[in-house]
Amino acid sequence: MSGQLSVGLNCPSCGGAISVSEGESSLNCRYCGSTLYIEGDNGVNTVAFKNKLDRDAAIKATKAWWRKGFKARDLKSAGAITEVYPIYLPFWSIGTRVAGWVCGYEEKTTTDSKGNTRTEREYKEEMVLMDLSFSEIACDPGDLGIRSLRNFNGEASFEDMDMIPSFESTTSRDDAMAHARADAMARGRASARIPNITFESLHVLVRKLSMIYYPVWVARYTYQDRMYIATVDGVTGQMLSGRAPGDPLYQSLAVTAGTSLGGLAAAGGIIAAFTFQSEIGIAGVILGLIVLGGTYWFFRHGSEIIEGDFADRKQLASLKKGQLGSLLGGARI
Amino acid sequence: MKVTLVKCPKCELPLYMETQDEFFYCSHCGTIHTRNGPKVERIPYEIADFRPDAQTDNRVYVPFWRLHTDFRIKSRDVKGGFFNKIGQALKGGDKGASIYIYVPASQMETAAFRYWSVNLTINNPRYSARTDFAGTPRMPATTTRDEAIELADFVAVTLEAEKPGTLQYLDYTLTVNEAKVVYLPFMSSRSGLHLAV
Repeated sequence: MSGQLSVGLNCPSCGGAISVSEGESSLNCRYCGSTLYIEGDNGVNTVAFKNKLDRDAAIKATKAWWRKGFKARDLKSAGAITEVYPIYLPFWSIGTRVAGWVCGYEEKTTTDSKGNTRTEREYKEEMVLMDLSFSEIACDPGDLGIRSLRNFNGEASFEDMDMIPSFESTTSRDDAMAHARADAMARGRASARIPNITFESLHVLVRKLSMIYYPVWVARYTYQDRMYIATVDGVTGQMLSGRAPGDPLYQSLAVTAGTSLGGLAAAGGIIAAFTFQSEIGIAGVILGLIVLGGTYWFFRHGSEIIEGDFADRKQLASLKKGQLGSLLGGARI
Repeated sequence: MKVTLVKCPKCELPLYMETQDEFFYCSHCGTIHTRNGPKVERIPYEIADFRPDAQTDNRVYVPFWRLHTDFRIKSRDVKGGFFNKIGQALKGGDKGASIYIYVPASQMETAAFRYWSVNLTINNPRYSARTDFAGTPRMPATTTRDEAIELADFVAVTLEAEKPGTLQYLDYTLTVNEAKVVYLPFMSSRSGLHLAV
């Protein structure tokens, strides 16, 4: 988290301007020396980042994004931006410390020169002690494709909040803290890298909790009579999320190259497995199936390029991890 | 957000602390309190004196939560550590004990947190108490009592896990009887903090 974040407030004793870092709850007035306590609404400190972009910069960032990746090649000439506007999105920003122990074992199978296999347990005990950051959008982001905050650095100011519309916070502090705790618990457990857990004692402490209003530029544009969206970070100018048309040529090339390479690898693998009874053959078959699966995925979904935390993109991510096998005729990956 | 002037809950005088600290110390009456929204809680504390030969430069007081606990072990499973097991069996078993657990109340890097919490819990510091800080700077406190109790559980399991053998299972209870803040004297140097009791 950043220590650079500050918010304009006044000392109740001398009226002097004071600033407080994100998540801090006490400070001393630099003018009169009074010790002050910062109390947020319902115990939550709220800050807003200053918007650093203008309309032209947001359009420029969107058009630069059009030229990257496997998007339609004529997007830069045929795409037409219909509206660009800034909004403030609320995010929960939570710092946690996870401390504890995870114990268990890992099974390792070895094969000796005579072909005998033996499985041994390697017992493990791992300490978990780490500081983590968690962020989560505090409203329904609709079709914006933004769910968490990536940047925590920036100048804070409430000046723009009067001019730029902001989404109301609709999620509860308790829910956000529960999600942050679950995230810290999962990351702490994963850091131990113990496949079979027999004992676990993990504690999650919430170190700081803030509500951050973050400026985002939304650009809506058309391409061949279809509407698309892109969002630009109002502090860094980086693209946050977006949908863009894919290119049929890239899809065709991918299908041609993918099926050829995948077919060759799988066929070569089958021949090697039956002829030489080699494990390399099995690896070749698996590699071929993976290439074919990837080719199918690109053909199926390459008509639209999606970046960011869109709900349908998440489905694809989980598909890649766990369900790709079903596309390959039941093979387990 | 609301900004309020911090006043001592005992003598009602406004505080003028030199450092930013969530343990609010009243230099007039010596009361330390914490705030959580409108809730104000007084903190019982002790100040340990520096050892007589400690240098006067680079002195700092570091706050620790000292928790008097009953750590009772119902059962455990440890793989390996044969000689340790034999030793414990000869002593009649290790079923836990009443222990003072020290938890740093300041924000520390994870390695320093582990080092000081484990070492001070194993070797409780002996010190003579004093009534004020005598102008010695204090490290700001950030850890609440409830957080300290959670972390005490971590320290207790650490004591078990760091014994010989590989811990596989531990069934235990940890009861906190008393929680008090102890300001321990340290010398600060480039190599880190050095206890000066």
